[in-house]
Amino acid sequence: MKVLQVNGVTKSFGDVRALKGVSFSVEHAEVLGLLGPNGSGKSTLMKIIVGILKPDAGNIQVLTTDVGADPIRVKKIVGYVPESPRLYEFLTGTEYLDFVADVHELDADTKRQRISESLKALDLDGRENEMINGYSQGMKQKLAIIAGLLHRPQLLVLDEPLNSLDPRSARIVKELIHKLRDDGVPTIFSTHVLDIADAICDRVIIMANGTVLEAGTPNELRTKAGVSGSSLEDLFLKLTGGSDTRDVVEALSR
Amino acid sequence: MSLNTIYKLAIVLTKSQLRATQRNKLVARLFGDPRSILVVDALLLLVLGTFGYVLLSMNWITGLGDMIRNIEPEGLAGIPTSIGFAVIVLGVLYEISQPVQSMSTDLVNWLPITSTEYVAGSVVSDAYLYSFMLSLFLGALLGPALYFGLSIVWVAAALMAVIALFTGSCVVEILDAVTNRISSSFYKRSGRSGIVFRLGLTIIILVFVQLIFSGQIAVYLIRSIVHTVQVAWYVPVVWPSVSVLSLSQGSVMNSMIFGALSIGFTFTLFQVAVNVRARYWVPVPVSVRLSTRTYLPSKSLVSIPGLGSVESALLRKDFHSILRRREMARFMAIPFVLAASIGLSLITGRATSDSLSLVSILPLYIIPVTIFAQMLAMTSIGSEGYAVWNLYAAPIRPSQLLRAKLIYAASLGIVFCIGIAILFSILVNSVFPRLYILMIVGIATVLEQSAIGITIGARFPDFRETVRSRYVSIWGSLLGLFVGLFIAFLTISPIFLSIRIYQQFLNQFTILSFGLGLITFLITWKIAERQVESLLRNIRT
Repeated sequence: MKVLQVNGVTKSFGDVRALKGVSFSVEHAEVLGLLGPNGSGKSTLMKIIVGILKPDAGNIQVLTTDVGADPIRVKKIVGYVPESPRLYEFLTGTEYLDFVADVHELDADTKRQRISESLKALDLDGRENEMINGYSQGMKQKLAIIAGLLHRPQLLVLDEPLNSLDPRSARIVKELIHKLRDDGVPTIFSTHVLDIADAICDRVIIMANGTVLEAGTPNELRTKAGVSGSSLEDLFLKLTGGSDTRDVVEALSR
Repeated sequence: MSLNTIYKLAIVLTKSQLRATQRNKLVARLFGDPRSILVVDALLLLVLGTFGYVLLSMNWITGLGDMIRNIEPEGLAGIPTSIGFAVIVLGVLYEISQPVQSMSTDLVNWLPITSTEYVAGSVVSDAYLYSFMLSLFLGALLGPALYFGLSIVWVAAALMAVIALFTGSCVVEILDAVTNRISSSFYKRSGRSGIVFRLGLTIIILVFVQLIFSGQIAVYLIRSIVHTVQVAWYVPVVWPSVSVLSLSQGSVMNSMIFGALSIGFTFTLFQVAVNVRARYWVPVPVSVRLSTRTYLPSKSLVSIPGLGSVESALLRKDFHSILRRREMARFMAIPFVLAASIGLSLITGRATSDSLSLVSILPLYIIPVTIFAQMLAMTSIGSEGYAVWNLYAAPIRPSQLLRAKLIYAASLGIVFCIGIAILFSILVNSVFPRLYILMIVGIATVLEQSAIGITIGARFPDFRETVRSRYVSIWGSLLGLFVGLFIAFLTISPIFLSIRIYQQFLNQFTILSFGLGLITFLITWKIAERQVESLLRNIRT
C-alpha cells in the first residue's frame, strides 16, 4: 500500500530551480533514504511533502489526502523534524512539548504519558524544565524528534535527524525508525552519513540538482552502477560526480 | 596585548554592529565602513561650525549673540558628561536589543583574544560608533566658541568629551559582563519571577532613558549637570566637565588636575571592565540543574469560551514570549514612554472645564492605546522568528492562528487602556467622572487596532533574527501606524462632535463610537483572515 505518492513536483525560488519534476512513492512499512549533495533539493522536497511549501507544479498524496487540497489533515498525520530545528528558545523543554501536543489536540493523560516517556528515553529527563536557549544542539535535536513523534504520525519525515546526536541517542533514533517500520509506519529521511543509510534504509533515492538520479535498494544501485561490493559512499560519489577528491585533499593539506 | 588585534577587533565590531542594525543597502554601504564614518563626522563638524560662525557674524537675529554668549561656557562644560551618559544609554539599549541566540557567539569566547584586547577593541569600536554625537555637540558649539574667543575651552571640551566617551564605553562593558552574570544566576535562583522582574526593570530604564532625551528635560538636564558640576565636583563622572568649566573660569591648574583625574578614572574603569569580563563572561550560562520535579502538563486555557486547544497553546506560548524575551522590552516600552510623557505634561497643564478636559485628554489617551495594541499585534507574527516553521508544520488553521494572536494583543491592550484611563483620570480630576468614556472607546480602539495590526503583521512580516529585529517591515509598520491612527481618530470623532455640538448626547455618541470601533474590527478581522491564510501557504524563511 502506498503511503506517499510524489508526482512530478517542481519548485523554483526565483531563477533557481530547486526541484525539476521529482516523482517517487513510499510504501507501507518502508524506510526511504534521500541522499544527495548540499543543494540537491532534499530539504525543499521534504518541506513540500509536509505541506509547508507549495510546489509550482505536480502533486503529493499522503495516504488518501492530497497535500495541496488539505494540508492541515496531512500535518495531523505526518511527523516532521527539520534540519537544525529552530525551536522557541524562550520556552522550557516541557513547555515546548506541551505546545506541540496541544496543537495536535492530545488529551492530558496521553500528553503526560508520551512526554514523560520520550524525555526519559532520550535522556532529557531532569533537564526538561530548563529554557531551550540553554540546550545544546543535540538536546534541541532530541526535543524536535520527540515533538515530531508525539502525535504518533503515520508517516515520518526526518531531515538529517542524526545531526548533533550523541552515539546513544543516534542508536535510539535508528532503532526507533526500525520499530516504527515494524509497526507499519514508513519513514523518509535525508542524511549525509551513507553508512547509516546503507544500514537502515530499505530503499534509497539519490538526488542532484533537483532531480532523482537513481532509486532502488542499496544493492540494486550498486549492481546498476557496476560497483557491487563497494560502499554506498563510492556509489554516491560516482553518481553525483564527486569521486575525484584527491586534488581537493592535496590543496587543503598544502 | 597586541595593538593590531585591538584595531582589527574594533573594526570588526563596528562593522558588525553597523551592518546588523542597518538594512538599507545604500546606507549600509555608506556607513558600513568606519572610515566613511570619520569622513561624515568631519563634514558634520565643519558644516555645523561654519554655520554657527556665519549665523553669529551676520547678526541676523537680534539678541541671539548675547544669549549664546551666556550659555556657551555652560554648553561646553556640559558636553563631556552628556556624551558619557549618552554612550551608556545607547550601549545598554544595543545590548538589550541583541537576540539571546547571538550572545553565545561572542568572538572573545572562541578566538585567541585576551579580555584586555577585547575590552579595548570594544571601547574603540564605541568611539567610532558614537563619534557622530561628538561631531554634533562639538560642531554646534564650534562656531560660537570661535566667535566669542573660547577656542581653547572648545579644544578642552573636545578632549574631555573623548575621555568621557571612553568612560561611558567602559561602563557599558562592565554592565554587560555583570548583567550577563546576574541574569543567568538570577534566572536559576528566582525562576520566572526573576525574568518578569528583569523585563519590568528594563522597561523602566527605557522609559527613563527616553524621557531624559525629550527636549524639555534635556535642557533641564544640561543646566543640572553644570549645577551638579559645581556642587558635586567629587563625583568622578563629572570630572571631565569640571575640567572644562574650570578652564572657562580661568583656573588652568584646576582644569589640568580634573583632566588628569578623568583620565585616571577612565583607566580604572577600563581595568575593572577587563577584570569583570574575564571573570563573569560565559558564553552559555552553565546551568546544568537536574530537576526532580515530576512532569505535569501545563494548565489549559480551554475553559475560556471559543478557545480550543490550539488557540490555548498559541496563547500560552505568546505570553511566555513577551515575559521572557528581552528583545520585546523595547517594543513594550514605546507606549509606556508616550503615556509617561503625556502624563507628565498633564501634571503641569491641567485643564479646567469638564468638556474641554475630555477633548484634550481623548487624543492624548488614544495615541498610546493605539500604538500599544498595534505594536503587539503587528509584531506577533514576525516575532515567531526562524522558529515559525513550527507553525507551518503544525496542523494550525489560519482562523485559529488569527484568533490566538487577536486575543493575545487585545487582552494585553485592554489591560493597558484601562490602566492608562485610570491614570489620566487621576492626573486630571475633571475627567474622572468621564472615566467610563475613556474605557469604552479604549476597548473599541484596542479591538480594531489589534485586527489592523495582525493584518499588517501577516502581510509584511520580518522573521529575521538580527540585532534590533523589527518583526514587521519598515513600510508595513509605517502603513500600520498611519492607517491605525487615522481609524482611531475616526472612531472617536462622534465624541468630539458631541462635545462641540450635542453635549447632552455624550453617552449616545460614546456608544456610536464603540459601534464604529466594532464594525471596523469585524471588517478588519475578515481582511486579516485572508492575510493569515496567504501567509501560511508558503514558508518564508
